[in-house]
Amino acid sequence: MSEILQQLSHCVEFGKIDKASPYPPDLKGQDGADEITKRALEEGIKPGDILEMALIPAMALVGDKFSRKVIYVPQMLMAAKAMSGAMKHLKPFFQSGETLRKGKFIIGTVAGDLHDIGKNLVAMMIEGAGWEIIDLGVDVNTEKFLKAINDNPGAVIGLSALLTTTMENMKKTVEVIRGNYSGLNVLVGGAPVTMEYCQKINADFYSPDPQGAVNYLNQLS
Amino acid sequence: MIHKTFLFDFRDLNLTVEQIERAMGYPEGESHEPIYDIAARVMKEAEAICDLKAEYRIFENITFDPTNKKVTIGEVTFDIGKIIFGQIRKADSLALFTCTAGKGIGENSRRAMKESDLLEGYIYDVIGSEAVEAAADLMQNELEVEMSMEGRKITNRFSPGYCGWDVSQQHRLFSLLPGNFCGIKLTDSALMDPVKSISGIIGLGPDVRRMPYTCSLCDMKDCIYRRKG
Repeated sequence: MSEILQQLSHCVEFGKIDKASPYPPDLKGQDGADEITKRALEEGIKPGDILEMALIPAMALVGDKFSRKVIYVPQMLMAAKAMSGAMKHLKPFFQSGETLRKGKFIIGTVAGDLHDIGKNLVAMMIEGAGWEIIDLGVDVNTEKFLKAINDNPGAVIGLSALLTTTMENMKKTVEVIRGNYSGLNVLVGGAPVTMEYCQKINADFYSPDPQGAVNYLNQLS
Repeated sequence: MIHKTFLFDFRDLNLTVEQIERAMGYPEGESHEPIYDIAARVMKEAEAICDLKAEYRIFENITFDPTNKKVTIGEVTFDIGKIIFGQIRKADSLALFTCTAGKGIGENSRRAMKESDLLEGYIYDVIGSEAVEAAADLMQNELEVEMSMEGRKITNRFSPGYCGWDVSQQHRLFSLLPGNFCGIKLTDSALMDPVKSISGIIGLGPDVRRMPYTCSLCDMKDCIYRRKG
């Protein structure tokens, strides 16, 4: 990997967003993910290589460290923000079709539940793994999920719930999706959700952390 | 019917940045310099925007149904489940309470997230949660002192959505309180607005007790608070 991609990967892993970011202290005053990505493109490095060789490996390291409790949610969010600083330069290439992503991932917090931090975290990690995110927000009813699925054939679905009481709506959402579409992959997550519950409601996969979802999606792509 | 209202200043809560770090998952004694600095800054901003208020109302016309683990206040019946029932069944009266950190902290959290600053939004969210729980602790301590002067005690506080009490019964709880109690409104799905609010029940009487920690009584093995504890 070229030096510039190594620098970019390091910035994302440690949450160095741009030159103005004071963190991490050892990179103070130096370019961050924002400037380095811009420079990499100017030097002719392909957007796909920036994604595949710098951003995805960096976010995989972040996800792995989070799973092992080496870092916690705030550091993961810092890394995700640095990744966003890089991604904004790549988005035009995704939109033009010059650079392809691994697939589409529709995500939303189920009806009745307004919690979105866990959902946002998973969305950012999956975006960092090279997927296009269609974020439906919070308190998402089944009709909204069905419309998004209809508009994005073949997308993988992610359902989030934080409350034991709104898990019931997760079950209903899976039922309605299964009743209307066959062969779709549905992932579920959230603090009260377990693998046992995932199997009970006929979802395809549950992970207690975002990296598990990324690993699962990587097997599909 | 006794009804008390409390207004707290954010500084009354004595929240520390270390406490916020613990709530974000960092183990005791472990800190991360950038996160500490950001949390300290956000906490200063939270101090200015938190609007902490708590209220309780005490009801004496209560009846318990041991067979079905229900309690009735006036004409409103709650299916509180065996865990909460076991804790409050010896009460001679019940306090229904609400507590809020106000709209500002939740709005700042959402705004930061919308502007793609997930970290700041998350920290606002955590501070809001810690603040409302700390304010409820202060209210509960005041209630405990008040009761002790009459030779009576209090139980822990229990909220719909936890310990097997269905969150939808929040509507029943609010039906016993005056409109706009604590400035909180309920959504159709029984979530409170402002989001950084809590509500619930506390048992009162000479034969009840407040326990330091009740998770061992609970059969919700995946409850987020059990994991946190």
